[in-house]
Amino acid sequence: MKLRKAMAVVLSAAMAVSSAMVVSADEGPVTLTLWGAEEDQTLLGELVDEFKAAYPDQEFDISIGVESESTAKDTILTDPEAAADVFAFASDQIFDLVNAGALLNLEDFGEVLQMAGKTLDDVKAANVAGSVEAATVDGSLYAFPRAADNGYFLYYDSSVLSEDDIASWDSLLAAADAAGKKVGMTFASGWYNASFFYGAGFTTGLNEDGTTAIDWNGTSADGYTGVDVVKGMIGIASSPAFMAIADGDITNQIAGGQLCAVVSGTWDAIAAQEAFGDGYAATKLPTFTVGDTQVQQGSVAGYKFVGVNGFSENSGWAVLLAEFITNEASQQKFFDQRESGPSNNNVLASDAVSANLAMAALGKQAEFGVAQNVGGKFWDPSATFGEMIAQGNLSVDDDAAIQEALDTLVEGVTAPVE
Amino acid sequence: MASQKKGGAMSAVGGFFGAIGGFFKDFGVAFAKGDIFVKLSVLWMGAGYARRKQYIKALIMTALEAAIIAFTLTFAMQYVPKFGTLGTVVMERVFNMKTMKSEFNDYDNSFSILLFSLFSFVVWAGAFVIWMRNVVNVYRLQQKAEAGEHINTFREDMHSYIEEKFHITLLTLPVIGITVFTFIPILLLIFVAFTNYDQQHMPPSALFTWAGFSNFLSLFGGGLTTTFSYAFVRILGWTLVWAFFATFTTYIGGILLSVLLNSAKTRVPKLWRTLFIITIAVPQFVSLLLVRNFFSNGGIVNTICANIGLTGFLRDIGLVSTSYIPFLSAPGWAHVMIILINIWIGVPYQMLIATGVLMNLPSDQVESARVDGAKPFQIFKSITMPYMLFVTGPALVTDFVKNINNFNVIYLLTEGVYTTTNQAMANSQAKEVDLLVTWLFRLTQDYYNYKMASAIGIIVFIICAVFTLFAFNRMIGNGREEDYQ
Amino acid sequence: MKKMKSNRTSSILLHNALIAVLAFIWLIPIIWLVCTSFSAYSGMNTSTFFPKEWSLIHYQKLFQPDTVQQFPRWFMNTFIIACFTTVISTAFVLMVAYATSVMRFPMRKPLMNMGVILNLFPGMLSMIAVYFVLKTFNLTNSYAGLIMVYSGSAGLGYLIAKGFFDTIPRALCEAARIDGCSEARIFSQIIIPMSRPIIVYTVISSFLGPWMDFVFAKMILNAGISENYTVAIGLYKMLDKSLINSYFTIFCCGGVLVSIPISVLFFIMQKFYVEGVTGGAVKG
Repeated sequence: MKLRKAMAVVLSAAMAVSSAMVVSADEGPVTLTLWGAEEDQTLLGELVDEFKAAYPDQEFDISIGVESESTAKDTILTDPEAAADVFAFASDQIFDLVNAGALLNLEDFGEVLQMAGKTLDDVKAANVAGSVEAATVDGSLYAFPRAADNGYFLYYDSSVLSEDDIASWDSLLAAADAAGKKVGMTFASGWYNASFFYGAGFTTGLNEDGTTAIDWNGTSADGYTGVDVVKGMIGIASSPAFMAIADGDITNQIAGGQLCAVVSGTWDAIAAQEAFGDGYAATKLPTFTVGDTQVQQGSVAGYKFVGVNGFSENSGWAVLLAEFITNEASQQKFFDQRESGPSNNNVLASDAVSANLAMAALGKQAEFGVAQNVGGKFWDPSATFGEMIAQGNLSVDDDAAIQEALDTLVEGVTAPVE
Repeated sequence: MASQKKGGAMSAVGGFFGAIGGFFKDFGVAFAKGDIFVKLSVLWMGAGYARRKQYIKALIMTALEAAIIAFTLTFAMQYVPKFGTLGTVVMERVFNMKTMKSEFNDYDNSFSILLFSLFSFVVWAGAFVIWMRNVVNVYRLQQKAEAGEHINTFREDMHSYIEEKFHITLLTLPVIGITVFTFIPILLLIFVAFTNYDQQHMPPSALFTWAGFSNFLSLFGGGLTTTFSYAFVRILGWTLVWAFFATFTTYIGGILLSVLLNSAKTRVPKLWRTLFIITIAVPQFVSLLLVRNFFSNGGIVNTICANIGLTGFLRDIGLVSTSYIPFLSAPGWAHVMIILINIWIGVPYQMLIATGVLMNLPSDQVESARVDGAKPFQIFKSITMPYMLFVTGPALVTDFVKNINNFNVIYLLTEGVYTTTNQAMANSQAKEVDLLVTWLFRLTQDYYNYKMASAIGIIVFIICAVFTLFAFNRMIGNGREEDYQ
Repeated sequence: MKKMKSNRTSSILLHNALIAVLAFIWLIPIIWLVCTSFSAYSGMNTSTFFPKEWSLIHYQKLFQPDTVQQFPRWFMNTFIIACFTTVISTAFVLMVAYATSVMRFPMRKPLMNMGVILNLFPGMLSMIAVYFVLKTFNLTNSYAGLIMVYSGSAGLGYLIAKGFFDTIPRALCEAARIDGCSEARIFSQIIIPMSRPIIVYTVISSFLGPWMDFVFAKMILNAGISENYTVAIGLYKMLDKSLINSYFTIFCCGGVLVSIPISVLFFIMQKFYVEGVTGGAVKG
């Protein structure tokens, strides 16, 4: 802290002396650290080299570290001051990261982005609207969207299931049962089971005090009741052809060979390809029964972001690096080398992306995708709720018990943050 | 542990306060009766030694004093004055376009303030003791000098550190290590339980402050979150049940296995023993994660059970409601499985211990019993077991405490696999299979709820302490120590 | 007479068969680990016990580091950390045990009580404080920091060693003192040479720590430089959702390779280990 103070004094003195706008290159190299997933390390190395080449006037000392997008938050929040300047993370972590001051508000860095020949609006316009929305907290952009593949859809074996079978859960399960196969989905996770509620027009949201708003125990904007949605879910879970899979066990189960269809995301594309062979196919999620109508199942539109640490010293260059890693050319490289689904509109529109079965299915589902704005208290109660349905603890005939369970869920999710 | 046993808790506490009283008395006497140099030592720690021509020692004490003053001025004073508020200056950041850098204000970090204040307190407490001892020592020197006794040279002083003061040489480093890596962190944990350190008040970007007993109130149902006390009682219950079974199943299992292996009937006992030991050699996180996948809902065991029709049978008699056997994913099943898996892990280790202890089993007793026509089981019951219990009783108590805090087994077996179906539990981020220690780990790792985690930590400590004291006292009460000596 | 003999034979057979069955049950997961590590498939196989295709390919991969796994480096790192930890921990344990067992001084009992009390706290919780202590001394992301964490509090584990020292006849030390031996000499030239079992026990226990711990290591080596990982964090990270399908078999290979040296160590030192732990426990 002393050091910072001293530095601030020195810096302001230096500022007063120099009136030039140009960044002086003789201050020595700019030190930055960058965290990305294990599998992306090689590509990140290439991108960093390109970044250096793009700003030849400045000397850089950039080191790359390993931190998986799914666990970035845990490591960063332990000690934000020690975390990397630029890091990749999954979109559901953004609220906790912003809350802990671990992300820079990019709205303050419009001037910096001009060095890359862009404005913040250019960045927002270049990426799909959902990704920008998910990266925005309280009206400010906090991260650069890098990938739009953190969502789920339906993989299926077209040698077992026909186009008609996959239209609704009812026909899907019936066909699977007839073929002696199973349809898998994770119920015990609020990330997956919210899809039913979102599809029926229910919402979740984040209040200013960090608590979660949730309306699942009432009636949705589309006029469906939460109880009816739950009954639809129970109908699916009670089918003998349904297999409830624990979160994280999906890949194993796909490889296990019992499944003919499964709800998962692009990370399982290879496993599904191997398991289904020539029958490998993917599409949007089916419809499910609410009351006596068929409702399209929604989904959580998840993204991968690259953000800049709020405690980064060289924040200007860090913002430029984060922007560089997520620009159109870099996203193209991520797609080419890592099969990572881009969030950039132009890359998304390219033929190669639409030819990729999983990406195409993700694109089809995106229409029904919702950015999931929830606080930390959402996860445990919603996982438990899904598990209750999966284990058959709720009876489809007992409206009162379902309503009570929904009320308890809402009570837990909306509890004040401690 | 033996002296621990004999000392007894109360007398230990009493003795401790007695020692402190004596310590202050010595200081008072020394200061009152000492000459001017002894009195000067209060200000300048080297004074008394300099007077007795122990110049090197005077120099060392002076340097030590200077170091403590320097520590106080440059380090402690940054934090200790803010201890009462735990900081008031919130972080602010301004971006400077010219340098492309963020500039920060000199913000406070409540956590650092708390930690380094405690660190300073501990250093000062140590310095205070040394300072008082110093005056006493100098006074003793004065007495020696006045009585015309020999005053040690520096070399002689040094020599005493491998003689009668050898314990100081031995203990200094380990005690410093324990202080820094165990004592201060635990002290911090105790203090955090009285703050509002949680996700809404998380340094470095936010500050936390003192909150009195409110965390304990909400733990026992007096606060806002009613489910917390609900979850707490249930988890505490399972923690105790688990600790009991985990301790005794492995303990008895280990003895049985070692009796089995050490029997005269056993061929190649060394080979068998090695086979069992291999399970210890595989790192726990590898073996437990394997076993967890082994028994997962879609795992091999389930596949086999389904194939041989066991799953169907269990469903018919109503033991399972799902298409798989929820070995590790339903309450009841998971509780039993966890204890069984723990037997798998713990028995080989206990077997090694039991093997060693039974080597010393008084063989004359066993012989005479055998001559009297006792059955092997009777011998086991009335000779082997009592002997084992006597010898390893204290270790059993330690094991029980270790199991209360057994993080690895529960965490690795249930994290990400077990989802509770009890909504009241879920609403306080707990599961039926959680121990208090895994619950508080998750509260800190996933919910950054350090204040509640610390409060729970203190409760765990109190439970362990009460149990340990109770158990040790009971064991002394038996008064059967002579039987085996 | 003949009948009795056959009775005895069958009872021996039965006895050994029972042990064999138990040993088999105990080894099933280990067998699965070893078998899976020889699988040609890189993900987890949940349908059959034995792999469908056998292969050495994943062992080869284990020795060809990529961006995710650098097993040879991790192994070396852990080995170095474990060696230093062992030396420091063993020294601390023996020092504390000797001081509390053989020597008598006023603070002895209060210190021992303090030790008992400190052992009762759940250590997991103090993790974050330990991290910030290390950060203050700029020791995070360094082996020195990890070594200090593993061995710093080793002195608290002195009880078993103390129990062992308690069994050494006091007369021996007294005689040496009368002969004019200093305490330091009694410690280093009489007690230590007699304490081979307990030293072996302490060495094994403290050597194992760094191979098993993934919680502290993950927290302290938080710069994300995978070359610097220990085996435990490296292997643990392979089970990440995005990696498990391509690295599960390599994870098993790593598990097997880590277990081999530890098993050998146990096998060789078994006798001393048993003597050490019981020497200590007997006295309690």
